[in-house]
Amino acid sequence: MAQNTQVKFPWRVVDLIVGAIFIYAGAIKVLDPVLFANDIDNYKILPWTIGVGLAFYLPWLEMFCGLALIVRRLYFGGLSILIALVAVFLVATIAAKVRGLDITCGCFGHVSQNWNFPAHLALDLAILGALLALSFRVVSGDRLQNAV
Amino acid sequence: MKSSLVRQALILAALAFVPALGEAIYFRDKISWESPVAASEMVTVDRSRAWGDNAIWVDARPEEEFDRDHVPNALLLNEDRWNDLLPSFLEKWSPKKKVVVYCSSQSCNASREVARRLRGEAQLKNVFVLQGGWEEWLKTRK
Repeated sequence: MAQNTQVKFPWRVVDLIVGAIFIYAGAIKVLDPVLFANDIDNYKILPWTIGVGLAFYLPWLEMFCGLALIVRRLYFGGLSILIALVAVFLVATIAAKVRGLDITCGCFGHVSQNWNFPAHLALDLAILGALLALSFRVVSGDRLQNAV
Repeated sequence: MKSSLVRQALILAALAFVPALGEAIYFRDKISWESPVAASEMVTVDRSRAWGDNAIWVDARPEEEFDRDHVPNALLLNEDRWNDLLPSFLEKWSPKKKVVVYCSSQSCNASREVARRLRGEAQLKNVFVLQGGWEEWLKTRK
C-alpha cells in the first residue's frame, strides 16, 4: 500500500501543477475577455464573432478541466479536452508564425505578452507532454479505477 | 471507457457554457459581437478631419513606417515603445481633444490595441480608431 502511494505521489503532483496552470490561465482570461478576443483575432483564423464566443467560453472550459484534474472528477474527460485545446493552440501558433503574423498568444493575459515564440512553444510542448503522460497513465490502467 | 470519456467531456463542456453565458451577458456593453471595435469607437477619415485642431492623431504603426510618412502632426505611439512614447503623448494631450488612432489598414490590429490601452491604462476618453487606417487616409489625402 505504502509503495503504491509512493508511485502515485509524483503523478498526483503533476495533476495538481497542470490543473493549477489551467485554472490560472483561465482565470486571467475570464477577467479580461476583450483582450482575449483580440488575441484570438490576431491569429486571423476565425471570424470575429466566433472569436468573441470562444473568448467567453474557452477560459471557463480551461478552468473546469483544470479543476477536474485537481479533484479527480470527470478526470479523463478533462484531460482529453485539455490535450485537444493545447494541440489546436500549438498548431495555430505555428501556423501564425509561418504566416509571419506577430502575435501574442494570450495564454496568460498580459503576463505572456512579451514572451517570444520559442518560449511559447517550449511551454506548450511541456504542458502537452505532461498531459499526454497523465493520459498514458490512465490508459495503461494504473489509475483507471480511481480516475474514471 | 470511450463512452465514459465522451460523457465526461460533454459534461465539462456543458458546465463551462453556463458561466460563459453569464459573462457574455455581463460584458455585453463592453465588446461588440459584430466588429472588433464598437461602432461608437470608430471614426471615418472625413469626420475626424472635420474635427481639425480638436483632434490629436496617433500613429500606432512601427517607427520605420511612421518615419516614412504619416498624418501631419501625428504623434508616434505604438506598443513596442509604449512606455517611452506615452509620456510625450500625454504632454500634448488635452481633455478637450479627441484622439484618433490609426495603423496601416483596416485589417491591422495595432490601432485597436493602442486605443484600448489609452482608454484602459491611461484612462482617456474620446479615443477613436480610424476606419481603414493609413491606407484610407492616403486615398482621401488629395
